[in-house]
Amino acid sequence: MANANMEKAPILSARDVEIQFSLRGKKLKAIRKCSLDLYQGETLAIVGESGSGKSVFTKSFLGMLDANGSIVGGSIQYDGKDLATYKTEKDWMTIRGKKISMVMQDPMTSLNPLKKIGRQIEESIELNQGIKGPEAKAKALDMLRKVGIPDAERRYNQYPHEFSGGMRQRVVIAIAVACHPEILICDEPTTALDVTIQAQILDLIRSLQKELNMTVVYITHDLGVVANVADRVAVMYAGQIVEYGMVEEIFYDAWHPYTWALLSALPQLGVKGEALPTIDGTPPNLFNEVKGDAFAPRNKRALAIDFVEEPPFFEVSPTHKAKTWYLDPRAPKIEQPDSIRRLREKMKLKERG
Amino acid sequence: MTKYTIKRLLQSLVTVLVVATIVFLLMRMLPTDYYFTEDQVMKLTEEQKNDQLLAAGLLDPIGQQLLRFYGQLLHFDFGVSRRIQTGAPVLKVIGTKFAISMRLGCTALVIALIIGVFLGVMQARHKDRIFDHIGTAYTIFVNAVPPLVSYSLVLAFGAHVLNLPTLYSTRNVGKSSILPIVCLALASIAHYALWTRRYMVDELNKDYIKLARIKGMAFKDIMVKHVLKNAFVPLVQYIPASFLMTISGSLLAERFFSVPGMGPLLTDAITRYDLNVVQTLVIIYAALGVLGVFLGDVLMMLLDPRIKLADKGGSR
Repeated sequence: MANANMEKAPILSARDVEIQFSLRGKKLKAIRKCSLDLYQGETLAIVGESGSGKSVFTKSFLGMLDANGSIVGGSIQYDGKDLATYKTEKDWMTIRGKKISMVMQDPMTSLNPLKKIGRQIEESIELNQGIKGPEAKAKALDMLRKVGIPDAERRYNQYPHEFSGGMRQRVVIAIAVACHPEILICDEPTTALDVTIQAQILDLIRSLQKELNMTVVYITHDLGVVANVADRVAVMYAGQIVEYGMVEEIFYDAWHPYTWALLSALPQLGVKGEALPTIDGTPPNLFNEVKGDAFAPRNKRALAIDFVEEPPFFEVSPTHKAKTWYLDPRAPKIEQPDSIRRLREKMKLKERG
Repeated sequence: MTKYTIKRLLQSLVTVLVVATIVFLLMRMLPTDYYFTEDQVMKLTEEQKNDQLLAAGLLDPIGQQLLRFYGQLLHFDFGVSRRIQTGAPVLKVIGTKFAISMRLGCTALVIALIIGVFLGVMQARHKDRIFDHIGTAYTIFVNAVPPLVSYSLVLAFGAHVLNLPTLYSTRNVGKSSILPIVCLALASIAHYALWTRRYMVDELNKDYIKLARIKGMAFKDIMVKHVLKNAFVPLVQYIPASFLMTISGSLLAERFFSVPGMGPLLTDAITRYDLNVVQTLVIIYAALGVLGVFLGDVLMMLLDPRIKLADKGGSR
C-alpha cells in the first residue's frame, strides 16, 4: 500500500524550509533547508535526538512556532497554498484543527483543568464545523466513544482530574481529530505514558487513521514505536533530514552515518558483555554556521570532503535517499558497520521463523 | 460541598471566638485605674473606686468575667462606651461610623477589582510592550512609595486640577468621598493588576492553551474562555486579603481626609482607653478578615471543580 502512495502527488510538500529563532539578540537556525513530502494516508515517523528540530519543523506546518521563531526561507505547499507565507492567526485558523492537527506529548497538561471534558471536545466541533447545541454534543459524545472511552455520557460531564493519563491522552486525541483533519502530527504521543498504555494509544491512533483516512506524522525517539507503526521514516540531525526511506530500508539498509549510529545504539543489538555503543560528542551549535556535513565532527569514519562541502541527497532506491558523501561514486568503498549487518541478519532469521 | 462549607464556617467562628478571648484577656490585664477619668482618680476615695469597680464586675475572678463576656457576645451586647460617648452602647457608637467605612471600603474595592483586573488582562495581552511596562511601573510605585506620599499626590491633583473637596463632609457625601475612595483603591488596583497579569501569563504558557490554538480557536476567545477564568481562580484567594487591606488602609486614609469612619475611631478609643470600644472594634476587624478568607475559600470551591474532591475523600 505504501509503495502505491509514492506514485501519487504529495498532499503536503515542504521545500528548503528554514526556521530561525532569535534568542537574546542572536539568531539560531533551528531548521536548515529541510525538505519533506507527505503522502495521503501514509504514516511517517521522524526520528532524531533532542534538539534536532523534529518538533519545530512539524510545528511550522500549523503555525505553532514560539513567538520568537519564524520561517525565513523555503515553502510549504499544501492544498494549493504556501503555508510558509502565512503570518496571522487568522490565516492559520483556516488550517488548524480542520486540515492539520496535533497531539502533544503530555496529556496531563494538555487539557484545561477547569473545563468539562465534553465541552473541550465540543468547542473544537463548534469552531470547525459550525454546529452548536445538542447536535454538537451528540458529535462530542460520539467522539468520546470513538476514542474508546466507556460510559461516554457520564464522562462527558467530568473534569480532566477525574481521568487517568491514558484516558486523558484519548481525550486529547479526540479533540485533535474531532474535525477530521487530513494530517495528524503526533509529537511523542506516548512518551509520558505507561508502557502498557503506549500500545493501546498507538492502536487507537492507527484505527482512527484508517477510519478517517488521515496522514499521520509521528515524532519520536523510540525506534521501537517506529518499527511498529511507520510506513516511512525520516531521520533528522541538526535541523535537516539526513536520510529517509521506507521503514525496512532505514532499518536494514541505512547509509547515513548518523542513522548507523542511532541504530547501533539500539539495546536489542547489544552483545552480552559489551558496552552498548553511544554517539560521542554533541550536536553542532546552531548559533554558528554549519560547514560541510553537520555530523562529520562526531563521525569517526568521516571523509575529508565531509568537513568542507555539504553533501547532496543520493538515491539508494526510488523511495530511499541519504544525504552523505559515502554514496558518491567517487567516494572510497565504505562498508556498512557490523551492527547494521547484524540487524539485517537477525531480521532475516526472524522472518524465516 | 455543603459539608465542607459548614466545616469551614465553624472553623471561622472558632477563630473569631479565639480572637475575642485574647483581646478580652489583654484588656483585663490593664490596671483598673483606666476605668476612671483623671478627674475621678483625683477625687474619689479608694473605697468609692472599689465600690464602682465591684459594681461593674471588674473585680470578679477572670474566669467569671470571661463567661459573662461570652454571654454578652451571644446577645450581641458589647457593653457601653465610657469615654467617646459616655454611656452610649458601643454598637451605637460604632454603627454609623461602620456604615461610612464600609461604604467607602466596598466602593473602593469594587472599583479596584474592575480596574485592576482589566489592567492586568491588558498587561498580559501586551506583555513586554509599552502598556505592560506602564502598568508595572504603577504597581512598583504604589508598593514602594509610602501611602502618605501617594495620598498627598492624589490630594494635590484632586484639589488643584479637579477642584474636588479635600475634606469629607456629611453635607456633600458624594463629591467629598471621591478622593478617599481613590486613595483606598490605589493599592488594591496595583495588587489586582499584579496578580491578574501574573496568573494570566502563567496560564498562557500552559500546554492546554497550545491545544486550544491547535484546534483552531481564536486568541481572543482563548483569552476569555480559557485564560481569564483559570487565572481568576487563584486570584479569588486575594480578594479577602485586599478586603483587609482596604480596611486597614482606611485607618490612614480616613484620618487623612477627616472621614468620621471606623479608622479614626480605633486610634481614638485606644488613646482614650475606651476599652469596650477597642475590644469591639478589634473583634469586628477580626470577623471581617475571617469572613473574607471564608468567602475566598467558598468562591474558590465554586470555581474550581478539583477542590470538591476534598468532600468525597478524593474519589477517582
